[in-house]
Amino acid sequence: MPDIVLGISAFYHDSAAALVADGAVVAAAQEERFTRVRHDSAFPANAVRYCLREAGIGLGEVAAVAYYEDPRLKFRRVLATLASSAPTGFAAFEHTLPQWLSWKRRIADTVRRGLEALGAGPVPRIVARRHHESHAASAFFPSPYESAAVLCIDGVGEWATTTLWHGRGTGLEPLAEIRFPHSLGMLYSAFTYYTGFKVDSGEYKVMGLAPYGEPVYEDAIRTKLIDLKQDGSFRLDMDYFEYLRGQVMTGRGFEKLFGGPRRQPESPLTQREFDLAASVQKVTEEAVLRLARNARERTGETKLCLAGGVALNCVANGKIVERGDFDGVWIQPAAGDAGGALGAALAVAHESGASRAHLADKRDGMSGALLGPRYTDEQIGRCLDARGAVYRRMAPQELAEQVAARLAESKVVGWFQGRMEFGPRALGARSILGDPRDPRMQSTMNLKIKFRESFRPFAPSVLAEHAGDYFALDQPSPYMLLVAQVAAAQQVETRSPQGAAGLDLLKLRRSTIPAVTHVDYSARIQTVTEQDNPDYHRVLAAFHAATGCPVLVNTSFNVRGEPIVNTPEEAYVCFMRTNIDVLAVGGFLLDKADQPQWREESDWREAIPLD
Amino acid sequence: MRNRRMRKALLFVLYIAVVTPVGLLLRLVRDPMRRKLNARAHTYWIESAPAEH
Repeated sequence: MPDIVLGISAFYHDSAAALVADGAVVAAAQEERFTRVRHDSAFPANAVRYCLREAGIGLGEVAAVAYYEDPRLKFRRVLATLASSAPTGFAAFEHTLPQWLSWKRRIADTVRRGLEALGAGPVPRIVARRHHESHAASAFFPSPYESAAVLCIDGVGEWATTTLWHGRGTGLEPLAEIRFPHSLGMLYSAFTYYTGFKVDSGEYKVMGLAPYGEPVYEDAIRTKLIDLKQDGSFRLDMDYFEYLRGQVMTGRGFEKLFGGPRRQPESPLTQREFDLAASVQKVTEEAVLRLARNARERTGETKLCLAGGVALNCVANGKIVERGDFDGVWIQPAAGDAGGALGAALAVAHESGASRAHLADKRDGMSGALLGPRYTDEQIGRCLDARGAVYRRMAPQELAEQVAARLAESKVVGWFQGRMEFGPRALGARSILGDPRDPRMQSTMNLKIKFRESFRPFAPSVLAEHAGDYFALDQPSPYMLLVAQVAAAQQVETRSPQGAAGLDLLKLRRSTIPAVTHVDYSARIQTVTEQDNPDYHRVLAAFHAATGCPVLVNTSFNVRGEPIVNTPEEAYVCFMRTNIDVLAVGGFLLDKADQPQWREESDWREAIPLD
Repeated sequence: MRNRRMRKALLFVLYIAVVTPVGLLLRLVRDPMRRKLNARAHTYWIESAPAEH
C-alpha cells in the first residue's frame, strides 16, 4: 500500500492540489484550469478531485493532507504589520482583521470542510508546512540532484521572503533567511504597480519590457530603495513603500524619486516605464546573482535549485547559468504558490521515509511537468461531434507530419495532446504553435490570436539535441524558465530605420528565428526531449525534417485573460473564437476552413477580464 | 456583526486603544519589521535554528 500524501495550496494566489505516492509525483493541477477563473484562489475542490481520480483512490486512502503554509505564524506577521503601521494603517486593519478572525487563522478547519464537501471519503489528518519549506521542497526533491544548494525567493510567506537551504538526499536543512517586509518579490511588485500593471500577474510583463529601456534608475534604486550587501542579503527602505500600511505598493516618496505618479493601467507606455523596468530588472538580477554566489559559498554545492515567485524571472535565472557559479541549475516549473502544494506533499512524504526514485534514472521527478488530466480520443471525438466539428483522424506520425507541413506554410496551430502541464507555462501539451522563421508571425499571433499588447515576445521550443545550434545555453531548459541569447550564427544585423523607437523596435528582424527573438537577442527557451514529451518531440522533429529548423514558437493555448485550456471542448472554443488555422487535438486534425460557422450569444471578449 | 457601521466603529476603537499603543511601544523596544538600515552591517541574513516544524 503506497504512502499517499495530498498537498494543497489555497486562499492567496494560484490554488492547486498535488498527489505524491511513495515520494513520486502522480498528479498536480491548478484550480484555475477547472474553474476558468485566472489565478483562482478558492479551495481547489476540482484539482483535488482530479488528483484522486488520477490515482484511482478516495480520501480514505490518503495518509495525510499537507497545506503549504502555517496560518498561525502568518497571522502573527499580519498582526505585527498592522501594529507597526499604526496609527496610519486603519484601512488595512479594518479590511484584513475580520477575515483573519473568522477563517484565515483556522485554515485547518477550512481545509477540512472543503475536503468533507467533496464527499470523497473520510478526511485524513491535515498538517501544515511552512511556505518557504514548501517552496524549497518543490525545488529540491524533484530535482535530478543528489545534493544541492536551494534558494527560494518570493513576495512573502509567513515571515520569510528569501531562504537558503542545503538539500542532501531526502533531507532539507534550513541555513538562513530574510524576513518581511524586506522582499525582492515586493520590490518587483512595487515597480509592477508603478508602471501600471497588475500586481502578482503583471511582473512578467515588466520583465518583458526591460530590454526596451536603459537602467537609468538603477543608482536611485540601489542608493535609496534597497541596501544590498555583498552576500546578497538586503533591506528595503520602507519609507518609500506603502504595502505595510495599505492596499497599494508605493507612496509619495516613490513618486518623488521617479518623477511623477504611476502609469494608469492600459494607458500608453512611455520611455520612463521602459527604463524603470530595465532598472528594477538589473537590480533584481544583481541581488539574485549575489544570493546564488552566497549559496555556493555556504553549501559548497555545484548544483542550485530555485523556487518561489521570483524564480519565474527567467532572465535572472539565465544570468545565474551564464555566470557559471554552478554547473547545473534546476527550477521548479510551478515556481509560484501552486508549486507549494507539491512541495508541502513532498516534504511530508520524504520526512516519512519516501525515497527519491527518479534519481536512479538520472531524471528529474516532474515527468516533464505533464501532471494534469488527459483525454482519450473517444472523449475528444464525442466533444467534437457534439459541436458538429469537421475533422480527420490519423495516427501520431502522420498527424505530426500534417501539422509540420501546415506550420511550414505559416499556419498557426492549436496543439492539444496528452496530460496538461503543471505550472504557468505551456510546454507542448496545451500550446499554440507557429513558424519562428516568419517575420510576421510575432504580429500575427499577438494581434490575431492573443488579442494582446505587442511588446511581449513569444518563446521557442527547440529539439534538445539541436539546442546548441540556435541558443547560447549549455544546460537543459525543459520548463521554459531560462533566458539565453540566440546563437551568434543565427543573429542577423539590423539597420534601425529612421525613427524606429520604443515598441516598434520589436518589428526589426534580428535573427533567422525572428518570432522568438527579443529586442536584445534573447529568448526564453524550452528544450524538448523525446523522453519528456514524445508527441511534442515528434512534431518538432517533423518540422525539422520538413524545413531544417528545429525550433517552433510555443505560446499558451488560451486567449488573453483566460487560463490555459484544460478540456478538448475549451480547445475547440478557443480555436473557433480566434484566427488559429488548424487544431490538432488527440488523434484529430481540424482545418479552420472546413468548420461550420461559429456563433456565440454574447461577446466573449467582454466576458473575460483583462489580465 | 450585522451592522457594518457598528463593526467599523468597534474595530476603530480596538485600533486606537490597543493596536496603536502596542505598535508604538514595540517600535521603541524592538521593531519586528527590522526596518532600520545599517550601512556598516556586513549582512542582513538571519541564521536559521536547526530544522524545526
